[in-house]
Amino acid sequence: MLHSVYSWVDERLGLEELLHFAQKKAVPEHRHSFWYYWGGISLFFFLVQAVSGVLLLLYYRPGPDAYESVRQITYDIHFGWLIRSTHSWAANLMVVAVFVHMFSVFFMKAYRSPREFGWWTGLGLLMVVMVFGFSGYLLPMDELSFFATKVGLEIPASTPIIGPRLAALVRGGLEVNEFTVQRFFALHVVVLPALFIPLLGFHLWLVQKHGNAMPPSEEAKPVEARRSIPFFPNFLMKDLAMWLISLNVLALLAAVFPWDLGQPADPLKPAPTGIHPEWYFMSQFQVLKVLGQWFPGAAGEILGILLFTGGLILWFLIPLYDVRQKGWRRATYATYFGLLVLAGLVITTLWGYAAL
Amino acid sequence: MNYPFWNVPHIGSGWVIGLIAIFHVMISHFAVGGGLYLPLAERKALREGRRDWMEVLRGHSKFFLILTGVFGAVSGVGIWFAIGLAHPEATSTLIHNFVFGWAIEWVFFMIELSTAAVYYYTWGRVSNELHIKIGYVYAAASILTLVIINGILTFMLTPGDSWLEVAGTGQEASRFWQAFFNPTYWPSLFLRAGVCVSLAGIWALVTCSRIDGVAQPRLKTDLVRWSVKWLVPSFVALPFLLLWYLWQVPESQRALLQLGMQTIGAGAFTQVTRVALLIMLTSATIVGVVYLFAWRSPATFPFSHALAVLLLGLVATASGEYSREMLRKPYVVGRHMFSNGVRKSEVEKFNREGYLTSSPWIATNSTALERGQAMFRGQCGACHTTDAYRSMKTLLAGRDREAVGNLLKILHDYKPDSPYRAFMPPLVGTTNEIQALGDYLAALVAPPAREQAAR
Repeated sequence: MLHSVYSWVDERLGLEELLHFAQKKAVPEHRHSFWYYWGGISLFFFLVQAVSGVLLLLYYRPGPDAYESVRQITYDIHFGWLIRSTHSWAANLMVVAVFVHMFSVFFMKAYRSPREFGWWTGLGLLMVVMVFGFSGYLLPMDELSFFATKVGLEIPASTPIIGPRLAALVRGGLEVNEFTVQRFFALHVVVLPALFIPLLGFHLWLVQKHGNAMPPSEEAKPVEARRSIPFFPNFLMKDLAMWLISLNVLALLAAVFPWDLGQPADPLKPAPTGIHPEWYFMSQFQVLKVLGQWFPGAAGEILGILLFTGGLILWFLIPLYDVRQKGWRRATYATYFGLLVLAGLVITTLWGYAAL
Repeated sequence: MNYPFWNVPHIGSGWVIGLIAIFHVMISHFAVGGGLYLPLAERKALREGRRDWMEVLRGHSKFFLILTGVFGAVSGVGIWFAIGLAHPEATSTLIHNFVFGWAIEWVFFMIELSTAAVYYYTWGRVSNELHIKIGYVYAAASILTLVIINGILTFMLTPGDSWLEVAGTGQEASRFWQAFFNPTYWPSLFLRAGVCVSLAGIWALVTCSRIDGVAQPRLKTDLVRWSVKWLVPSFVALPFLLLWYLWQVPESQRALLQLGMQTIGAGAFTQVTRVALLIMLTSATIVGVVYLFAWRSPATFPFSHALAVLLLGLVATASGEYSREMLRKPYVVGRHMFSNGVRKSEVEKFNREGYLTSSPWIATNSTALERGQAMFRGQCGACHTTDAYRSMKTLLAGRDREAVGNLLKILHDYKPDSPYRAFMPPLVGTTNEIQALGDYLAALVAPPAREQAAR
């Protein structure tokens, strides 16, 4: 019975061809293979986000009722606290996984020809993920999210000329209020998924087309000394095991440390002390803060924005700079640049928390 | 009040015990299960003529000796040292009841340590038969340490009606065997035995993962798969053993779990219920991960994946131990001594004569705030800290002096319908002492204006 159903579907969709393709596809096996799983882990957390997000959508009400609806989800609705905690923790874990994936791709030089578009689409996905995080953070409209968004919007607002207009457009006015929640909600559940899903599809297609890149140390080995395993079932099984571990970490965090809901936002109240954006914006927040202290007035802000924009352009263009397969001087410089960026992000983030 | 208070800022004394205990359980249970794994693996290797297994087993026995003989032994002593400081009254109760039990355990422990060393140092120096026998002697001694310590550990959750009848009369030791073979003794023994066998497999996977699967694919495949089989019995039996265990736990303690279950919709899913559910979730993950990583691709099973399985084992073990500890609430010795060291039978006396009056650790001319702090350290400090773990500043935030006083009154009255009764001990002491505690807590939550200005 099952066999005949499978044959019926196979005749129409060509499942056997797909299976054959998956079995033929090989994944390199070496001492750095561990880093191959992080793309899959990021994808897993995105799927969790999509499912838990849809469940939250059933009860969440944007606008003036935003806080009350999140309060109901957290305290009145069966397992609502768990779904909300899962969504919030998975968002943070997804950002962690995406960052790990990006740096592992960078240091394995997986952006080199012919994988340039993989690097660029990956960076595009990272940007969208960061905006996902930023827009989702405001939606509960509690005290912390309100003031953190207010502070967070000061980063784009400091962009010369277009900054203030851009911030006003996103806010829906001069202040963060229920219209901002409405706009962030539309951005979070319609605009960003509409950008993210096709970009993700393209990214995954590129991975399928070019396969997994090998780090330079593996490429230096003769072909007969290199090892690989079939994508199906071997690598897929290991990938699934990683997903299971990720699920366990997520469940542990969501169950033991349920996501808190603070007091309702009150714009008339003073901001709580030590208000700051989410950890993945802490680096930019701290750099702007420090530059503002060192160069008073608009100079500090302009310098900060120039620094971010310049750094991002260099990061984006790295596949066009470090192009050769065999090691040469530019490859070393690119690695140093990556280490500098990584160290800069870690140090300024820690500095930001220490300075609160 | 016979002992000084051990104040551990930020994490609290409970977590000092917890951190040592979680680390210790992972090693001590391996010490029992691994003791069975080694001679059985050696016997199988000899029967099947697998000389290649012997080198791996020799390496594993060295790792086993160092891990269990050094880190296991030191952390085990560390637990007793920490509980003696954190819970001197409860430790005193254990010593008065089980001093001979402990003496017996130490005999087995010495045999265990000696034979583990002899087993490692006699590889290739004595006949194979004798070497396996040494392994079996080790296994028997280590199982017997579990048999003994399990009686003492389970006593703390369920001392049993027979022992409770004589508790506080000075005749407690006369019910040694009833206290030892208490209601949760057998389910706990089987549960722990299952964990020991599983951990033997998990730790063996760590050793096996280091075999070069390209150079020796058959050796790695066979050893990885044989080690995976050690996980099967306990994971199949785990749900049944857990149910048996819970069935033996008194209704009043089980209510702690049900409290979470019944009020789940309101979000008041208690911590102990969530953590208890993690045991099942993590155990299921271990089964899935071991099948997908190790069983399906044994020859390419890497060290990093073995460490992932080990970490999952650590989460499952930690969840189990945490749940067991939390199930004792509000007691440290079930239905006999509350978690702050106050015996049930002493509540009336402390309320009448005072909690601090008999303590040699409080100066007679101490201020009200100092007495309040002493009350906090004595009666709250076992579970709460001022500023971090179960922080009083957070829990009492927004309450003024009157509200703090009302809460203390509820805890002192300890009425049958009090919502705190399920997991908190009664607050004991005279009106003045409770007043002093209230002043101390209120000052903690909202420091006097002068102090705030100085900040």
